[in-house]
Amino acid sequence: MKYIYKVVLALSAVFFFAQSLAADEQTVLKKHFLTKIDEVICIVESKKLTRDQRNGDIVKALTPMFDFELMAKLSLGNRWKDLSDAEKEKFVALYVERMKQSYSSKIDAYKDEKVEIKKAEQTKEDRITLVTDLVSKTQKLEIAYKFHKPKTPIASKDSWLIYDVEILGVSILKTDIAQFKEFLNTKSIAELIDVLIKQS
Amino acid sequence: MKMRLILTMTSCALVFGLSACSSKSVEKPHEAVEPPQKSSSVDDELASFAEEMEVQEIYDPLSGYNRVMTNFNDTAYEYVLKPVATGYKNVLHIEIRNSIGNFFENIHFPVRFANTLLQGKLSYATEETGRFVINTTVGVFGLFDPAKSYFELQAHDEDFGQTLGFYGVGNGPHIVLPLLGPSNLRDALSLYPDSLLSVLDYDERSYWTLTDTPAEYIGAKAVEKTNAISLYMDKYDKIKADAVDLYPYLRDMYEQRRKKQIEE
Repeated sequence: MKYIYKVVLALSAVFFFAQSLAADEQTVLKKHFLTKIDEVICIVESKKLTRDQRNGDIVKALTPMFDFELMAKLSLGNRWKDLSDAEKEKFVALYVERMKQSYSSKIDAYKDEKVEIKKAEQTKEDRITLVTDLVSKTQKLEIAYKFHKPKTPIASKDSWLIYDVEILGVSILKTDIAQFKEFLNTKSIAELIDVLIKQS
Repeated sequence: MKMRLILTMTSCALVFGLSACSSKSVEKPHEAVEPPQKSSSVDDELASFAEEMEVQEIYDPLSGYNRVMTNFNDTAYEYVLKPVATGYKNVLHIEIRNSIGNFFENIHFPVRFANTLLQGKLSYATEETGRFVINTTVGVFGLFDPAKSYFELQAHDEDFGQTLGFYGVGNGPHIVLPLLGPSNLRDALSLYPDSLLSVLDYDERSYWTLTDTPAEYIGAKAVEKTNAISLYMDKYDKIKADAVDLYPYLRDMYEQRRKKQIEE
């Protein structure tokens, strides 16, 4: 009888451990995400800094969380592999810069808003989506952050990295994929790079 | 009244009919999105996202017209609507503008209520009713939103376009409407049945309406729209800054947003 107890206990311990491991990864990510967001909110609210300093600090805090390089590659869809190495390098650099500026300017507009995590979804072993609400006095904005875990960790980056952000169901990456695709239907990569240079 | 009913019914029938053909033309050949065959690790990584990042092709036979209309709307926004809304914004405090926004949201309750019911979303309908009752009374004719701040009753933005989408009606071709911006055939035709439930109207109605003459109607609409623009123009300007090509950018955002709204 005692033996059976032990076996059951051991089995359930293994089962429980396996379960909690999976859950643990999400909890760690959630915690890390919230700490980062707090850090960013602190920067946004610090009145001592000038606007440029603030944006610089926000970018510094956010960069390890985002896989901007992957987003750049994905944004071109099937066309990515047609680029020459020089074009690839140039495009990634421009896209990364564009994303950084876009995020920091948007986040800098936040005032008295807080972030709440509604749920975490793990669709694959290496994908987690955090669905959050950005709550302000007048409205609630649903923002989903999509994370992936690269097989080989990237130096100076977190282990889970954001590769897409969905605001009210609108995916930033998909919108870029669509507009770049349409642009490249009639124009060349070089022209796209020119437009991005002009915008930055 | 009879005339209106017939009009509504024909527009519905038209949407249903069109949706059937549009869903066919939207389908994409699957061979086109096969992952690349090179086996370097970067390609593998990109391939693992291929399925997820496959952008749904939007049915867009009117793209020529749509581009022109997008330019027209953007010019009208930059040179007329935005300057007017900026003046308005400078005169009225944000709290007052929020209240005006709340007021218009509140009087559009019948549209949201009817569409939640049509979709069988009873809990949403109850929540909307609660919001209307509380905000009209305690919230002083809808100027304030105590339903959200004290009773945690959330608004559910439902319209007839979403109701049709809920029952499987496809988007139909994307259409950019003058001044109203991105839409599609289903949503554009749905504006009509929704307007029948709006208390902002100048036609003879069997029930109370806020405006009685065309002049009053245009005045009320102008205030509603100017107020709305004054509240969201900063956001719109920031969104626009990320556009490489404004038309497909706004088009895709609109269709993605509607898809999400219909799923909710």
